Amino acid sequence: MRGVATFLATLGVAVSTYIAIADSGGGSPVCLGGSHGCETVANSSYSHLLGVNIAVFGIFGYLILFAAALSRGDGARLGGFAVSLVGFGYSVYLTYLELFQIEAVCQWCVASAIVMTGLFAVNAIRMVGYAGKPA
Amino acid sequence: MSGRKDREERREERLRAEEEAAGGDRRRRLLQVASAAVFLTAAVVLVLIVVNANKSSGGDASSIQHVDTVESLLHGIPQRGLTLGEPGAKVTLVEFGDLKCPVCKAFSEEVIPPVIESKVRDGSAKIEFRNFTIIDAESTPAGAAAIAAGKQGRGWQFIEIFYRNQGNETAHYVTGEFLMAVAKAAGVADIARWNRERKSTRILAEVAKTTEEAEGLGFEGTPSFAVSGPAGEGLEALGTVEAGALEAAIDHAAG
Repeated sequence: MRGVATFLATLGVAVSTYIAIADSGGGSPVCLGGSHGCETVANSSYSHLLGVNIAVFGIFGYLILFAAALSRGDGARLGGFAVSLVGFGYSVYLTYLELFQIEAVCQWCVASAIVMTGLFAVNAIRMVGYAGKPA
Repeated sequence: MSGRKDREERREERLRAEEEAAGGDRRRRLLQVASAAVFLTAAVVLVLIVVNANKSSGGDASSIQHVDTVESLLHGIPQRGLTLGEPGAKVTLVEFGDLKCPVCKAFSEEVIPPVIESKVRDGSAKIEFRNFTIIDAESTPAGAAAIAAGKQGRGWQFIEIFYRNQGNETAHYVTGEFLMAVAKAAGVADIARWNRERKSTRILAEVAKTTEEAEGLGFEGTPSFAVSGPAGEGLEALGTVEAGALEAAIDHAAG
């Protein structure tokens, strides 16, 4: 479980770092197949929270999940579960915004949402299956 | 000896049982915390979605959006009044539109940007917006506000930002507050002057005049297009066209 979580967290860091770098130059991530979805989503008011690109929060979240995946014990299980739960909840909200408010889909955001869903599943199994048991 | 061994075994067994019981308690508490967190997160996400769904889907003066998209679309292209493009461009594409019209909004977001990029930016054509007010009484002040913004070189920013923040067709959202929010977002520098001019008889008459002109061309809906160029004879009515047809019409008019 920890190996899968480590892999997914690494993937998440990579995806959110790309989105943050693409945005930092005043641009936007490039969608595959010539779609303008990434540009539309990046230019929407929902792409920033308190003036900071949400991908930056994503990087921190995935780094915490990376650290939790490498650690043992109930603290790491609970921490990993809590952070992935918040990340998963936010991904659901962002996907709703893309589909019904912004009316554009950014492939990189979808990729991040899938990775976060995977991390939530793995951390939930780790929590439910092993909580209270020895490290 | 045997009694002592028994006591030790019983003691170890008791400690093991206590440890298991403590582990079980800890596990129960952790799972209770996890369950509460799941419910809390689900509730927060649900509230966020409901709040967003109930937010006005446009026409909201307090939340003007897509300003950056419009700025990047129009960046570096000259404009005068409601004409976008090089003044010397051989072909003029005229759009008769109503700022309250949802089809015009769709054209503004999907059909017009490729024309701007492929024909206007390189100086092959210019696009002129003319008001054709068909939706309701609010169409006129909206169109007049666009003309007034055009007097300060921000007409197309006003039009494009208005479309991207358009409210429901039947809603009455074209208030002074909404128009001012759009004008400010469009970068109109002298708001007091814009506010005066948008209510002036001259500009209101201009809206009525272009509406009559559209009717004279036989147009019945918005957006309707017309084109003029060296290969044609005056303003040729195109009507409401399919995506991609505007570029072809411009090429044809250029000769």
